[in-house]
Amino acid sequence: MFRRLMIIILSFGCMQSCTHKSNIIRIGVAGPMTGDQSVFGRDERRGAELAVQEWNRSGGVLGKKIEAVVEDDQHDPRQAVAVANRLVSDGVVGVIGHFNSNCSIPASAVYHRAGIPMISHGSTNPQLTEQGFNDVFRVCGRDDQQGKVAADFVCRDLKLSRIAIIQDRTTYGQGLADEFRSHLSSTCRTVYDGSIIQGDKDFRAVLTDVKSKKPDLIYYGGVFPEAGLLVKQARQLGIHAVFMSGDGIMGPEFVNIAGSAADGVYATFGPDIGSVPAARPFIESYRKLYGEPGPYSIYAYVAMNILLDAIKGAQTTVPGKLVSYLHAHTFDTALGAIRFDSKGDVAHSPYVIWQVRDRHFVQR
Amino acid sequence: MRILIQQIINGLTTGSVYALIALGYTMVYGIIELINFAHGDIYMVGAYGGLIALTLLGTMSTALHLSGMGALLVGLMAGMLLAAAYGFTVEKLAYRPLRKASRLSLLITALGVSLFLENFVMIGQGASDKTYVSIGMLNRNFIVGGVSITMSQIVIFIAAFAIMLGLDLFINKTMTGRAMKAASQDPVTVQLVGINTDRIISLTFVIGSALAGAAGVLVGFYYGVINFSIGYLAGMKAFTAAVLGGIGDIGGAMVGGLVLGLLESLGAAYLSSEYKDAFAFIVLILLLLIRPSGLFGSSRS
Repeated sequence: MFRRLMIIILSFGCMQSCTHKSNIIRIGVAGPMTGDQSVFGRDERRGAELAVQEWNRSGGVLGKKIEAVVEDDQHDPRQAVAVANRLVSDGVVGVIGHFNSNCSIPASAVYHRAGIPMISHGSTNPQLTEQGFNDVFRVCGRDDQQGKVAADFVCRDLKLSRIAIIQDRTTYGQGLADEFRSHLSSTCRTVYDGSIIQGDKDFRAVLTDVKSKKPDLIYYGGVFPEAGLLVKQARQLGIHAVFMSGDGIMGPEFVNIAGSAADGVYATFGPDIGSVPAARPFIESYRKLYGEPGPYSIYAYVAMNILLDAIKGAQTTVPGKLVSYLHAHTFDTALGAIRFDSKGDVAHSPYVIWQVRDRHFVQR
Repeated sequence: MRILIQQIINGLTTGSVYALIALGYTMVYGIIELINFAHGDIYMVGAYGGLIALTLLGTMSTALHLSGMGALLVGLMAGMLLAAAYGFTVEKLAYRPLRKASRLSLLITALGVSLFLENFVMIGQGASDKTYVSIGMLNRNFIVGGVSITMSQIVIFIAAFAIMLGLDLFINKTMTGRAMKAASQDPVTVQLVGINTDRIISLTFVIGSALAGAAGVLVGFYYGVINFSIGYLAGMKAFTAAVLGGIGDIGGAMVGGLVLGLLESLGAAYLSSEYKDAFAFIVLILLLLIRPSGLFGSSRS
């Protein structure tokens, strides 16, 4: 009796998931949806969902509706692995994300084991695409490119010589700081090399130490919540050195936290999308729905579009075929044409220098 | 030398904040022997209270120009009031019904309250960082002989010491304060001399929470950002400070807070900034090995 009951229950379970599968195509969207970096998660979700809405309005893909399954990794690697496993068992056909490199790298192993393609919109640590996983892609740049652009700018254009490097000991922050240091030319000297803890709010102890080394420039490898406080407290301590960081500080939140101390701060990031003609329709529809796009909104939008284009082009959601389609084709996106190299990176280096002027990031 | 003085100033600032929060821990422990793990979250609620009041004032009328000092006082008052209200309610709803239950149930309830408050604020106020109202006066910066001190640091010193002095006077000089002290020595016997223990316990929570709320607002002004999870680490630190000074001892909590702030700042400067948090706990463990009841704690029977 019990066994018969189990069979009925199990077959009912299968029936349900089978009908579930046939109606909609589910795509995972994973990033820091809560916590101090939740603006990045919010931008990612909005970008990806905008793409899904547009596709659904024109009939979906393969005759099915698309559903974005949003998961929160809280920029915590342990959470990211749990989220990745949940997405895999949820039957997603691909994943957009994660955002933070320390999440993307461990999560990519889970997706790779399941054979699901993953397109990160914002993880810049080189390691992500150096693991030999053919199903891992990214639409943003890499920190070896970013670190070089920053180092060249500091040594060649600004001609500064005494460099202090601070990083937040995350995969992204430490990686970016290492790339920056390794690309410094012989005219630049590292006078301070230290780290802070992500989530901390008081950096005066480290900064007092930095001050005694009299640097011309402080380079920070990390993300805006700490970067904003760091530059604010540096100015309060009377440190007048130039402050520079990477794509992790882009967006209005950094300026909100740092206040007037943000003015003059440099960052490396992709080119201003306001000057990219292909991005114009995206900016308009995004503004209508959510307001001003964040720095990584368009990258999430583009990643989702590429995945859906690939499903449409390959006429299947079978992972192996999807992955080979992604490798073999050039995609026409809001950021221009994108083609992945054999590692899954975009071919060219997108980084340019930005600076905060009158409380806004502007491209130099 | 200049660096040392700077680090001491930095350390004393965070230390005063720890001391303010630690007082609430130690007062509550003194009277009902509960480690109130929700206390850190009361501090967080206080920070939000100050922010909400100042934002409301700011939007209500732009003509209503609060001077720097006025805004500071309004923020502090609002933060202290809201934190006190939360502390009062938490004691009444969560702890009082368990007064006769085992200590473990009370402790687990405290953890539950802490989680509840965090998630409650996260849902109500959003998960991301909130930028605190910036008061021009507080951002003023004095650099004397290469050592920098900001107005917000000075305000934190003054406010913390004024509040602590007021508390000390209240406890030692007023009738209610003395009743509190008596209740902490023997909560049952004091009822014989006509002291209402329930009222005294409520009052302890209200005062302790108001102090934490004040600390929350001061920290909001100092760092400029708050979020729903700031209570966790601050609570841990303040708890450490209270144990360091000898839990249950009010003077001990003040000294413990300042010592902890200094240890962190100097440890980060001269040993390793990455192990700043661990360093404070290592010192705590070492101290407890030598003096199990903390710096000023008396061994209770």
